[in-house]
Amino acid sequence: MKAVKGRFFFGGVHVPDMKALSQDCPIKELPEPPVVTIATSQSLGKPAIPCVGVGDTVAKGQLIAKADGAISSNVFAGISGKVTAITELENEGGQKGTYIVIEGDGSGSTQYLTPLTDPSKEEIVQRVKDAGIVGLGGAGFPTAVKLTPRTPVDTFIINGSECEPYLTCDHRVMIEKTDEVVRGARYIAKALGVSNIMIGIELNKPDCIAAFEKYDDVKVVALRKIYPMGGEKQLIYSATGRKVPVGKLPADVGVVVNNVATCLAVCEAIELGKPDLDSILTVSGKAVANTANVLVPVGTPVSYIIEQCGGEASAPKKVVLGGPMTGVAVKSYDLYVKKTTSGILLLSEKEAAAEEPTPCLNCGLCADHCPMHLMPMNTAFYSSAGDIENAAKLGGAMYCIECGVCEYVCPAKRPLIQAIRKTKAAVRAQQSKGGK
Amino acid sequence: MDNSIVISTPPHVKSRRTTRNIMLDVLIALAPAAICGIVYFLTDALILEITCVAFAVIAEFVYFFIAKGGFNMHFNDGESRQLAKKVAQLKQAGQPYEEAAAALKEKKAALKKAALAKPLGVCKMFIKQFDFTSVVTGLILALILPSTAEWYEAAIGSAFAIIVVKMVFGGTGKNIANPAAVGRVFMFISFAITTYAAANFGAVIDGSGETLTSGATYLSGAMLGENPDVGAMSLVDLFLGTGLAGCIGETCKLALIAGYVYLVVRRVIKWWQPALYLVVLGLMTALLNLDFAFFLPSILSGGAMFGAIFMFTDYVTSPKGVFAQIAYYGIAGLLTAVLRHLTGIEVVSFVIVLMNLIVPLLDMWIRRKPFGYKREKKNKEVAGK
Repeated sequence: MKAVKGRFFFGGVHVPDMKALSQDCPIKELPEPPVVTIATSQSLGKPAIPCVGVGDTVAKGQLIAKADGAISSNVFAGISGKVTAITELENEGGQKGTYIVIEGDGSGSTQYLTPLTDPSKEEIVQRVKDAGIVGLGGAGFPTAVKLTPRTPVDTFIINGSECEPYLTCDHRVMIEKTDEVVRGARYIAKALGVSNIMIGIELNKPDCIAAFEKYDDVKVVALRKIYPMGGEKQLIYSATGRKVPVGKLPADVGVVVNNVATCLAVCEAIELGKPDLDSILTVSGKAVANTANVLVPVGTPVSYIIEQCGGEASAPKKVVLGGPMTGVAVKSYDLYVKKTTSGILLLSEKEAAAEEPTPCLNCGLCADHCPMHLMPMNTAFYSSAGDIENAAKLGGAMYCIECGVCEYVCPAKRPLIQAIRKTKAAVRAQQSKGGK
Repeated sequence: MDNSIVISTPPHVKSRRTTRNIMLDVLIALAPAAICGIVYFLTDALILEITCVAFAVIAEFVYFFIAKGGFNMHFNDGESRQLAKKVAQLKQAGQPYEEAAAALKEKKAALKKAALAKPLGVCKMFIKQFDFTSVVTGLILALILPSTAEWYEAAIGSAFAIIVVKMVFGGTGKNIANPAAVGRVFMFISFAITTYAAANFGAVIDGSGETLTSGATYLSGAMLGENPDVGAMSLVDLFLGTGLAGCIGETCKLALIAGYVYLVVRRVIKWWQPALYLVVLGLMTALLNLDFAFFLPSILSGGAMFGAIFMFTDYVTSPKGVFAQIAYYGIAGLLTAVLRHLTGIEVVSFVIVLMNLIVPLLDMWIRRKPFGYKREKKNKEVAGK
């Protein structure tokens, strides 16, 4: 259907998108890494429980860790080979987690689920759950939970905005796998029992908009190019005009949002029986030799991917897993790709912002640009004084979506997100104490 | 992987804008007004501008130097004192003391080196953190002074503005009121007799010679009934600042508008902020006089336009939320009009200081609701019914 324009919302900022670095690189399947190290914690919630032992031979697609409860996801072997160790390692955030190490044997044996033809509503939800599909937009919320909302839903939105600078993996998926994405979206819509499918795409991707306009059952919404357009609440408002109440889920206004990569995973899980075992990610930044969009199995070492992309072009100032606005800065390449990893960025000295903070000017730019209409400077001010109550109340820290706009625009380069996270953690600690 | 890699919380890219950039933008925006001042008032204006800026920077440096312990030099410590004592004792006892004296000399040299390095370090720190805010304050203060002000008065006012209003409260970003506005009020009160009366400012305009201030004389004269002819002064003259007295930077409105356009284009200020203030001021003046002919003269006279563009919009002392900003500029416009009407003197700088002081209250009372907050409230009401 012909694209319609999205609604305007206050806040947000124009970030130089830097997508030209990698948007024309087709998705490339890298040669299988010799060893993969797969985290059992691939989604929000509890880590999965390993169901293989050391020494077991596994095939590609075999279940190696089983979900523990509803908010958890199954984990599958990304390559065929032998389990050589189950160890504790640090993840990119510095927390310890259980990892399963598989040494590849190169046999290429696969063990997928049985493909479904014309599945029913329940079959789709069950398959999404079995295939361990999680939201690939970044948060990693198990998709099966989203497909069974408690409140009636009438709209399904595909999030194709990809507002983060640098990242182009969703862009490539939308161009190369348009049909799969639409089929996956149709399955999700069927599972939800809705007929209204929308896709939100930012105007800086006109080729994607044109590709999706060909489908009659998909309403294309051309969104203004502004960060954070891909934030769930902002996207829903832009596409439908509904405001998600604070502290509520999108389902409360009758909307479910999923990323394009998630739709692709759903389509593959149903039609090919392929569980969620690989990740499409963007390797970009000015400090990497060759920018690329690559398809790698879960658990691939970051160092292997960098090596395959020609290594470092110059010494990076920052190495980021994910997008530059919300991703995690890491200090070493000894980390492993997760289902939700959407990018590996090697930022050069010029790109990475590593300036010393100067005193706050009280300019209010952070409040002007906040898409949630909060006052980050108040949070920073009161939290530095140790006044948690006012930091939460006057700054609105608890409603923050941590998009990073405030810190991006700050002329004094204040560490606002850090203050907000600190406040959130302190308030939650207080609440849990009060609850007991 | 070397250790040059930085880790931090996101975001990992940031805008290019820094405090220094913003202040340089403001300086560029002030340039037309400053040049116009020099064209109109010649060397008087030039001397005042240079004095104000120089003394503002010097005052900031002196305060910074003292506060950071630049004078805190130690040429002696416990060890050197003991050594000196030992040398003295040896000398007194008539024993050979050359060895101890050499040790003392060496120690003293080391201490001297360390002590002299300290003020140098403080100077380096000052240069590193210098963000041009004091230059802006000094220049603004110079531009809102009458050209007849003495240079030493300007120097005192400038130093007062920086030290008492800005540095004592914690430096950049922490001042409770606009330093330039307070400096001007301070000078107005302290030197009113010498500067403002002797200059007989505004006499050119209202012809009565009774008004003692620099600003809205034409208008206040008209309002007070001394010179009720609103049309006595041409609007073009008011706009260009030709043939009328006024403060150095406030006379030529064309230069101010050029600065305004630059600031808006560079997104340092929002276009509607000065406009809202000026429109409210004009309408209120017209209402008080029941004559719409007062609308434009009230905007164009005195320091209203300069204050609206460069002083009310000061980041540090204006509210942060959009609705609080609307209230701020609205109230400021009303207050200016009413006080001008009642007192007959130019009150813009007083209004700026007054409004600056209620900013924390505005920020506390008028806050934006988080995105999606209103709806929840509505739902609650519906549920309650």
